[in-house]
Amino acid sequence: MSVGAAGPLITLVVVVVVFAALAPQFRTPGNIANILDAAAVLAVVTCGTTFVLLLGSIDLSAAGVMAASSLTVALLVENTRNGADHGLLGIVVAVLLGAALGGLSGLLLVLLRVPSFMTTLGVSAVGLGIATLLFAGVQPGVVDAGLRGWATGRFLGFTHLTWIAAACVLVGWVVQRHTRLGRYAMAIGGGEEVLALSGVRVAPYKVAVFTMAGAFYGLGAVMVTSQLGSGVVQAGADYSFSAITAAVVGGTLLVGGRGGVLHSTVGVLLLTVLANGLVLVGVSPYVQGGVQGLIVVVAVAAAAAPLRHRNQVVK
Amino acid sequence: MTLTFRPAAVLLSLCLTALAVTACGGGPEAGAGGSADTGTCDPADITLVGQVRNESNPYEASWLDGGDTFAASVGLQQQRLTYDGESTKQQEQIRQLLASGRTECMVLNVLPNGDSDTTPIVRAADAAGAYLVTQWNKPAQLQPRDYDRWISHITYDGVESGEQIAGSLFEAMGGSGGVIALQGVLDTAAAKDRFAGLEKALAANPGITLLDQQSANFSRAEALTVTETLLTKHGDQVTGIWAANDDMALGALQALEQAGRAGQVAVVGIDAVPDALTAIGESRMTATVSSDGPWQGGIGLAIGYCVATGELDMADVAAEQRAFYAEQFLITKDNVSEFQDPGTDPADFECANVFNRTAGPLA
Repeated sequence: MSVGAAGPLITLVVVVVVFAALAPQFRTPGNIANILDAAAVLAVVTCGTTFVLLLGSIDLSAAGVMAASSLTVALLVENTRNGADHGLLGIVVAVLLGAALGGLSGLLLVLLRVPSFMTTLGVSAVGLGIATLLFAGVQPGVVDAGLRGWATGRFLGFTHLTWIAAACVLVGWVVQRHTRLGRYAMAIGGGEEVLALSGVRVAPYKVAVFTMAGAFYGLGAVMVTSQLGSGVVQAGADYSFSAITAAVVGGTLLVGGRGGVLHSTVGVLLLTVLANGLVLVGVSPYVQGGVQGLIVVVAVAAAAAPLRHRNQVVK
Repeated sequence: MTLTFRPAAVLLSLCLTALAVTACGGGPEAGAGGSADTGTCDPADITLVGQVRNESNPYEASWLDGGDTFAASVGLQQQRLTYDGESTKQQEQIRQLLASGRTECMVLNVLPNGDSDTTPIVRAADAAGAYLVTQWNKPAQLQPRDYDRWISHITYDGVESGEQIAGSLFEAMGGSGGVIALQGVLDTAAAKDRFAGLEKALAANPGITLLDQQSANFSRAEALTVTETLLTKHGDQVTGIWAANDDMALGALQALEQAGRAGQVAVVGIDAVPDALTAIGESRMTATVSSDGPWQGGIGLAIGYCVATGELDMADVAAEQRAFYAEQFLITKDNVSEFQDPGTDPADFECANVFNRTAGPLA
């Protein structure tokens, strides 16, 4: 990692040190476990979004995909609405549904040549529609002990969700660094024309990236469902934008081809630490949103400064 | 012919009394609700419309179900409309509805997205001659009594509900201990009023300390994270959690479970969503307040229906019935079983009873 790319990480360390100095509760092991637990879902969702951003595309479908997957998993595992008890199979189906919806975004992008901004917004609406139909007025509560255990169970002091998120980040990193998919995603974002002219068919890779992103959203939805204890249509409401924010804060730029899973994860941690620390330090809730926004803007400006080309146009 | 005559009729109805309008009733729709005050619609000609944000939460879904039940009881069907919480979409739906022609026997029971959305809805419905009942949101200075077809605005006293659940919470805590408060979206009237109710209850109970208050934006997921953080900050001092709605209360319950403190901390909320009622039944949660969604969905249509058919004379509708706080119900373990099966009582929707739940005039 170059010095420039380490900007967000340095910001994270500074923020952590400041909070640790100001609030004694911040530096307790319990709170560190809390922060990682709170960051888990966003980390998984951001893994998916990161690959789409690397392509130079954008993905606003997390809200809808997560809604559909959340309701699906809640209705397939043991629940309060119907007699289903498919356990792990239900979880797999929910993740596959996410992948399918992601794949749909990708196909619309490459076949119809509709900008990803529009296709993913459309797919998000489709997902919300599916979720509302499945919801049918009655919230399905999760009874399945296995799925509930994801949020409540702990291993070495950290919740299972934290470990799942860590595994996802690792998988994301491996895909990015060591597979053709990851390297081509990077290359497409860096210079799609060059890649196409050199004989690479980029369309299948684009669809694959969106499909993988959808799978991450699906898994994120399963995790939220476990946390909240029921299938919730609004499960992913804020995640589309939070994930993009986290990725950009971490140094995965919207222009594509720059950044990566680890960068984005630093962004996720920075956002989560801010939300946690501002409460512990005792900043009034009425100004918290503003303070948080300000710190994020300053952090992005500081972190991205060394990354900017002299003549780069920012739109 | 009709084109030139209609504006004249509209002008007359604005300037003259109800009698004058009936007198010039030569137009094709004059028989159907020509009077500004009391309707003469044939029950079979009435269209009933219920409009809420979305059907993806139990409360608003039960609202529309209540509307369906009322519609069925008078042999009609309710048109169910949802606008995904988007103000522009809501206005567009209203415009399309009112452009459909026979608006003079149309009854609208509307949940405006926000205060400012109420004004254009009221103006459009009044101009088209459709009967309108709004709920929850309206700007303070906008009054139904200034309009002919906007019959009533119904809302609930947030200060009262915030205070009621605080009372139950403090009782469950044995009159002393530390409370954390989860506020709603801070710039909404609901969040402000409910929190004012908590502050009122705190003033009356010196044994209780408010340890912290944070906004979790009425969201279950945010409440989960915020509660985890606050439990870290205040530890065992926390013996009660006051939440401005049930979604946040349920998020707090999850946080308690994940922190291994389930059952040691009393939790209260507002809205009476099914999950909260289950939690109260299982003694995991202490109290909530119900505005009775199915009743809200039915009552707006019932009031409009009664006026449109002339069974209820607008002259008999008192000033305080045109903008009022409706009765709300504190639900604890003692009475939770009465609320677990959401439904409506047909007697509530009889024309003589539609204003029975008036708890006081809107301040």
